[in-house]
Amino acid sequence: MLRVRNYLLAAAAVSLAVFLTAPGPAQAAQPKRVTVTGEIIDSWCYLSEIMWATGSAHHQCAVWCARGGVPVGILGDDEQVYIVLKMNNDPDVIGDHGILRMQSNEVVVEGDLYVRDSVKYLAIDTIIDDHGIVNHSHDEFDIQPFGD
Amino acid sequence: MNKSYKSILAGLFALALFTLPGLAVAADSWGLPGEEEVRFDAKVTDVLCVLSGDCPPDCGAGKRVLGLLKADGELVLPVKNGGPFTGAVADLLPYCGTTVTADGLFTVNYGVKTFAMQFVKPQEAKWRRANQFVKDWAAAHGLEAKDKKARSWFRNDETIVEIIGEQGKLGLKDKGIEP
Repeated sequence: MLRVRNYLLAAAAVSLAVFLTAPGPAQAAQPKRVTVTGEIIDSWCYLSEIMWATGSAHHQCAVWCARGGVPVGILGDDEQVYIVLKMNNDPDVIGDHGILRMQSNEVVVEGDLYVRDSVKYLAIDTIIDDHGIVNHSHDEFDIQPFGD
Repeated sequence: MNKSYKSILAGLFALALFTLPGLAVAADSWGLPGEEEVRFDAKVTDVLCVLSGDCPPDCGAGKRVLGLLKADGELVLPVKNGGPFTGAVADLLPYCGTTVTADGLFTVNYGVKTFAMQFVKPQEAKWRRANQFVKDWAAAHGLEAKDKKARSWFRNDETIVEIIGEQGKLGLKDKGIEP
């Protein structure tokens, strides 16, 4: 009987520990302040490599995907991919008009970086600079996809 | 066993193939980098909520990046659904805060793991193809999702037409560069 009670107590302790350590809204991670320079990209086309997915060659497709609800990313000068959770302090980044018009632009942004399960998430509060499209990839890759 | 009885059994078997979870639904390979066909249970959540504690009650009403939080704590990022040029937010939003079974492909590239969701099954409900964006777009335009205009929604969407009209297909119209 004592053994059963000890077992139950141990199980309860383990359950409590799992509950207390499980990630969730109640235990938000501490972000790191960062400044990132890079190109605003369509995360899916870039990470899946289904086509050439940066610069002017991919601009139209990047607008399509951002409008269609694919998360927008930034390909940093450090070659890291950042998933944008906020732009200019606005968390409405899915299908949003503001972010649609920035596709393929090179930007300098500042915000909070969260890293979770291999993904770098960026909550941008400040757009320091927007250089427009500087990657003229259409010279080499035409229009991706379909050529028109 | 007479012939009509055999026909009934064959019909029931065929029906079972199309209705039983796990038999008719399975992810198609897309040949992605580091691809893995997966099926898992997870809670639909707002990623910003999980990471920062900023939690609107409706997961952001479809305007925020959504994630799938597994029981083991892994936060999966769905970036794509089964439609053309569309993400999975519209498929997941109705189930904000609840657990679903998701079926699709993990892909790992440049050290980043993401998820392409092809099917989703809410609790106590049937499997659905993950193509809600096009269905919603079609409905908003008085069309069926199978209509040609809806299937090419990305060439017909008013906002896209407006932006590409202003910026050009290369985004360089203001610099006088157009295809």
